[in-house]
Amino acid sequence: MRRLHPLSGAVSVGRGLVQGAFFGVIAGTTMVGVLGLPAWTIPLVPLALALLVGGFALARYYRFTYEIEGDTLAVDSGVFARQSREIPLGRIQNVDITQGVVNRLLGLAVVAFETAGGATTEATLDAVDEAEADRLRRLVQRHGETSPESGEAPAEADGESLREDASAPAAGPDTEELFAFDLRDLLTYAVVSVRPAAPVLLLVGLPLGIDILTTVLRYNLGVVGGPPSLSLAVLEAFGPPRLVALALLTLAQFLVAALVLSVALTLVEYYDFRLVREGDDLRYERGLLRRYSGTIPLSKVQTVSIRENVAMRRFGLATLVVETAGYSGGSQESAQGVAIPMAPRADVYALARDIEPFDDFDFERAPTRARRRYAARFAIVAGVVTAVGYAVDTFLLGSGYWWVLGGLFALVPPAAHLRWRHRGVALDDDVLATRSGFWRQTTRVVPYYRVQTVFVGRSPFQRRRDLATVTADTASTSSIFGGAARAYDVDDERAAQLRDTLRERLYTDLLERRRGTGQ
Amino acid sequence: MESLHPRVRFLWAGRSAIAGLVLLGLLVAVDRLFVAVPLELAVGGWVALVLVGAVHAVLAHRIWRFALEDDSLFLVRGVVTRTDTSVPYVRVQHVDTTRGPVERTAGLASVVVYTAGSRGADITIPGLRPDRATELRERLRELAGESEATDAV
Repeated sequence: MRRLHPLSGAVSVGRGLVQGAFFGVIAGTTMVGVLGLPAWTIPLVPLALALLVGGFALARYYRFTYEIEGDTLAVDSGVFARQSREIPLGRIQNVDITQGVVNRLLGLAVVAFETAGGATTEATLDAVDEAEADRLRRLVQRHGETSPESGEAPAEADGESLREDASAPAAGPDTEELFAFDLRDLLTYAVVSVRPAAPVLLLVGLPLGIDILTTVLRYNLGVVGGPPSLSLAVLEAFGPPRLVALALLTLAQFLVAALVLSVALTLVEYYDFRLVREGDDLRYERGLLRRYSGTIPLSKVQTVSIRENVAMRRFGLATLVVETAGYSGGSQESAQGVAIPMAPRADVYALARDIEPFDDFDFERAPTRARRRYAARFAIVAGVVTAVGYAVDTFLLGSGYWWVLGGLFALVPPAAHLRWRHRGVALDDDVLATRSGFWRQTTRVVPYYRVQTVFVGRSPFQRRRDLATVTADTASTSSIFGGAARAYDVDDERAAQLRDTLRERLYTDLLERRRGTGQ
Repeated sequence: MESLHPRVRFLWAGRSAIAGLVLLGLLVAVDRLFVAVPLELAVGGWVALVLVGAVHAVLAHRIWRFALEDDSLFLVRGVVTRTDTSVPYVRVQHVDTTRGPVERTAGLASVVVYTAGSRGADITIPGLRPDRATELRERLRELAGESEATDAV
């Protein structure tokens, strides 16, 4: 059995000592105050706590062992309650390697093994040295290539097209660089794929930069011709035009700041991005401060998604997301997921086809009565916004311009049309494809043999128009967060047809794949 | 298509009544500690909630149907949003029967079907007689075993 790297043990012991001492200082001073103990006992409490917490960390380090033997990964851990865990290598969906700043300096890496099912990462080694991380990754990878008789055998069928160029013996799969970002690509990507969360992050962070905020606001006041001091009385003295100018100026600055933040976050996250193919695995590396790398076995791919936002569509670019059934921690940061952040559309489709072969999709649109449904929905939203605007204007502002909001109704027909136009479903020979979203369009490709459960849902509004939404659930991670492949607002009869087709194809394709692997 | 045991309606209606009681208790606490809440309004709200819960329970029972089809378990449910669910037997990972304390008092049991899909635990058939639940679990297990053994995910 192997232990984690001694340095990582030392780091956690050190952290334990500091934490123990910190809480000890607080506990010690309170205890002396409350119990009236003599002052010389104060340093004893931190010392004792530091030794306790540090000692526990040391014990945990010594009691944590792991080893790959044959085709299982065994992990023994726990100081008081012992836990032994054995994970068959064939069940490991992906291996994620993370290096924080400290670990990078020490040459250490955290290795996480993800399996399907389970709400958390199955095993995390925190931390081993880089060479060991690489060795573990290769062991898991090699297992997938040399043991087609295991339960996860379909590796072969999937990888056929890939195998031809990866015909090297399993011992040393050849690597081929598929994609890399240079700084210019990365900058383009950062600008084009603005994070919707950036403004929220900025708002949350505002209290920290309150000085900067007041300076900016004072400057803005000066620009619109007010006195350089902040107070509500000043605002009241302003007429609506100057107030609006001030608001617009501030909003513009806020948006620019959010954009800068978003670009910075993306740069840090995707700095030096590389995607390579190693045998039957995709492997990527990324990150400026924290370095992430992960392997995605092509045989375990559940769904392939292609995302294009409005700006990317304009320039013919797309994002490719490859999902397995592993646990992703619900956040982008925990590595698994994005395979290619941004590349020309044709390249993205080529790689997607390499992973799951499919033809050009011929998307079937929802019946036009679905478009009326969207129009009705957007009209209700516009109506509510106008009503709220009317109320606010009548009771608070009194400008009499509330009817300007009525202009929103003009946007209803194009919005409904765009939503309708960008939704569709296609049944290919081997895959189901669904598409939705205008601003951020997502095309999901689900091989039939990956479908788990099929849901057909009808809301009361859909029932009125004989429409239904068909959801093909897979074991992929993103479907937990509402990202499942959905065919929206298809005709009722067509929905039943889709459901039956999916079920039939699931069985026939599973059989076919089994035959294909010679079982 | 098989429907659920009629007694499940009382279970569901009772559940919403109890949830309403919790809300009522909260309102009373708010009334005592912070702002005066008219008690008639609170009780009226609770009664309304219980009525809605009861109607919902009756409708839900009327709509709930399930069937063991050739290749999949088929469920129909949902009062507001109607959902049909097909769970192919190949995808069944394991099947549980569960009996919570309230269910036990009502003499009912549920069958929970797990798949590797992200909504695996969603698939629960409530309101079954215990012997029927056991039988259904056994049957599902057999069907899952009979269907081609393949990789689960």
